[in-house]
Amino acid sequence: MKDQIETYASKLVADRAADPTGIAFAVQDDQLYGTGEPYLADLARNILSRLTGLAVVVARPALPFAAFLMERAAAGERTIVPPDTETRTFLHDIPFLRVDEFRRDGTAAVARLLGARKGIIVEGVGIVAVGQLTVEQAYINYSSIYHATFVKYLHDLLTDGFRLPGEEAAVRDFVATYRPATAEGLVFRPGPLDDPEDIFAEMAAVGRYTVERRLVDSFFGNISCRTGNVVYISQTAASLDALAGCIDPVPMDNATTAGITASSELLAHRKIYEATGARTILHAHPRFAVIMSMQCEEEGCAVTDCWKECPKVRFLGGTPVVAGEIGAGGLARRVPPVIGGPGRAIVYGHGVFTLGETGFGEAFLAMAAVENWCREEYFRRLEQQFGRDRS
Amino acid sequence: MHGWTGTIQYVNLSDGSCRREPLAPDLLHTYLGGRGLGVRLMREFHRLDPFSPEMPLIFATGPLCGTPAPTTARMTVVSRSPLTGTIFSSSAGGLFPWRMKAAGIDVLFVTGRSPAPVCLILNDAGAELVPADPLWGKTIPETAAALRDRGSVAAIGPAGENGVLFASIGQDTGGAFARGGLGAVMGDKRLKAVVADGSGTVEIADRDRFDRARQDVLRLFNASPVIFGELGFANFGTPALVDLIRQRRMSPTENFRSTVFAGAAGYGGPAIRNAYAPEGDGCHGCPVECRKRTPTGEPLPDYDAVSHFGGLNANADLATIVRCNALCGELGMDPVSTAATLSAWGEARGRFASADEMPSLLADIARRRGEGELLALGSQQAMGRLGRPEFSMSVKGLELPAYDPRGAYGLALAYCTSSRGGCHLQANPVSHEILRKPVATDRFTFSGKARIIKIAEDGNAAADSLVACGSAFFGATLEEYGELVSAATGREFPPCRLLEIGERIFMTERFYNCANGFTRKDDVLPERFFTDPGSSGEGIEIPHIDRERFEVELQKYYRIRGLSEEGTFADRLFLERQP
Repeated sequence: MKDQIETYASKLVADRAADPTGIAFAVQDDQLYGTGEPYLADLARNILSRLTGLAVVVARPALPFAAFLMERAAAGERTIVPPDTETRTFLHDIPFLRVDEFRRDGTAAVARLLGARKGIIVEGVGIVAVGQLTVEQAYINYSSIYHATFVKYLHDLLTDGFRLPGEEAAVRDFVATYRPATAEGLVFRPGPLDDPEDIFAEMAAVGRYTVERRLVDSFFGNISCRTGNVVYISQTAASLDALAGCIDPVPMDNATTAGITASSELLAHRKIYEATGARTILHAHPRFAVIMSMQCEEEGCAVTDCWKECPKVRFLGGTPVVAGEIGAGGLARRVPPVIGGPGRAIVYGHGVFTLGETGFGEAFLAMAAVENWCREEYFRRLEQQFGRDRS
Repeated sequence: MHGWTGTIQYVNLSDGSCRREPLAPDLLHTYLGGRGLGVRLMREFHRLDPFSPEMPLIFATGPLCGTPAPTTARMTVVSRSPLTGTIFSSSAGGLFPWRMKAAGIDVLFVTGRSPAPVCLILNDAGAELVPADPLWGKTIPETAAALRDRGSVAAIGPAGENGVLFASIGQDTGGAFARGGLGAVMGDKRLKAVVADGSGTVEIADRDRFDRARQDVLRLFNASPVIFGELGFANFGTPALVDLIRQRRMSPTENFRSTVFAGAAGYGGPAIRNAYAPEGDGCHGCPVECRKRTPTGEPLPDYDAVSHFGGLNANADLATIVRCNALCGELGMDPVSTAATLSAWGEARGRFASADEMPSLLADIARRRGEGELLALGSQQAMGRLGRPEFSMSVKGLELPAYDPRGAYGLALAYCTSSRGGCHLQANPVSHEILRKPVATDRFTFSGKARIIKIAEDGNAAADSLVACGSAFFGATLEEYGELVSAATGREFPPCRLLEIGERIFMTERFYNCANGFTRKDDVLPERFFTDPGSSGEGIEIPHIDRERFEVELQKYYRIRGLSEEGTFADRLFLERQP
């Protein structure tokens, strides 16, 4: 398990999800031990000793957005409710512990909250997440919370503006270091791809590119390639930067169910292939596309569950935005009719699908273009609405 | 009271007495219902012989039964297994649990032995025993049809009447309490059927919170490839696993002599769909409907049944598999133990039963005639009598289901630590080792598996006490079900509390088993898995299991559980300290 800790500590740094000097893990099999930054490692060990799970990660987020969310929350609030569908589906809400309560009850209070949720935020400490079965699970839960708070904070900011000292400077610092996603230096196999070995290799490479170029939250997303009657698709819960051995060949006619481990978005991929004739599909959760998809100017609308019920097609820079739940929900019904022309579509509060007519290069470039446009548009609107506050 | 009815129905078949009593709220809060409550109520009886008249047969619902919580129209039947000698709980969904709870009781506690066959009628007014002589000898569907006008039915077939050690208890609609031979316990009591016809409703403490949690569960079902995915259980039933387990090269074949059966594609999910155009035949109110039937109403086999009547018996004929599965339902036998006992016998005599022979052999087992007299004892006892105990592919006498442990090492450990015997469901490592839920783990390593198995055993013991279907946890987790039960009962049951309760239940079961002589020597796989490799190929190596590494992990498991090196309790007062 020490190898796994090293792997996921490195990933937290590579993702820029955690401050490299503030990461600790604790794990227990028949023995308990902690490693990492000494104070946090001690804390992690104490927390895990009160839980039944296998691993805990405690780390300071690389950006202060989670802390800002806590500070902006009303005095009586105890949870952050993420607006994006991915987090809403798997985490529901994110409890937080204020610093005075943490000082008073310490690890007991943390353990009590972790006994009910996959991860929490502790004021003055950072994000604490548990892996019930594996170290990887702790990393996933940490990463999901980190990205959920990123999305919620910037989403709220566009509505409410800056409220706290230091917020604006932190956002400025972030903007200064943020680089647009590009395909520079990446090599794509020319399509169409027909040889299974080529397909496996290219999917693994492109999956890794999407993570390296930070077009996903942690490593979630899915990717597929169609040749003839077979869709090669990444498996459910597969890490996009480690797809070797995690790709299922699934016949279009469901002649075998060996692909039951395929991505939960298999149906959406299949319907898109049927509707468009594309050869490749890339699906990721780029953060600014997720944020911008939830910005709706419509007033007086009767729909309240916009993320699943909105019947309209909106546009962000020419990219259609539709609603729809993941998996067997409405996403597979609403994306195929709109994605064919532009080769890209955004799902409300969820992520982006892009197509390649032959290989993956086109899909990757489209993904980067959507995210870059959404990022620029986000900051344009922020400047427009709150520019005077920032001057 | 919210969630529970707070009432237990006692029935003594020896003297025909029936009485209802309140259940102590503390007992409900600390054991929930279903498996947990049933196991707790066995405390004074766990050392009795399974066929002792005083041995209870307990039917226990949970706090979510009777509510719209997904997959919870279920109950657990608890007793001591005549097949394994272990404490045994068997869970199934259907309308019967729902209507029994609607009759105003959480638990039915049956003891004694009736001088003549009887049926027990449960309704809002109480309980009544009625003669069942005309029904004795009838199949389960025949019995259910005869009693249909009186309510929902749980009944035994000829196998239960005749003491077949793997006899099941069937229902008119829904699944069977299939494993462990609890149908034989019911038959020994001369209880042919229980009929429930309640009309009550379950009070939910916080309806808004309950509805939110229910929506969360359904959203996770939608997001799960295993449940509502195109290739998942809702579309293909659990036989969707046939192709996957074949692809992973861990299909039990010819009594576990190999791990790939060439004819498996002939009885997988798509093959069944093409041959039978299945319809959903789900448990009452279940949105998944993983159980399927033909348009004419014939039940179709689940994954374990299709694989065991298939490759395990070297049989590729789908029609025979479907017929054998239906016969098990009619005669009241566990398809897994039936098929595995046939398979062991096939290896022992050097020839597996042909497709033509299998149905008549099943009838012989249920009636205990001819070869059926021997096979009715289950594989362990039958192979013992033949002097070939090594051909029984079982743990603690419970025949293994349709996953070869050489293909998943957490599974290998779980088969041995399960309090029921050779069962994968108590820890369900197939979920993470094969189906990647909630996260994928490396199926070919023991590393970390001892704690993973322990946590899963505790969690599933709690789930079995709610009572929720195991398949629900291919999508949802105890977080969402904890919300449901908290909202239903008005008491807080976060996942950590459910895990504590689950641990208490599991350890109580282990204690009972140890009190009956079970130790480390029983926590062991059949020798074949440590000496013979599986069927390697297609880039996948299936070696035999490393015995030394297995033992290391088993000891780790004992340490995590606080048990001795022999897998027993150093604390003899453990039970007395439990609530």
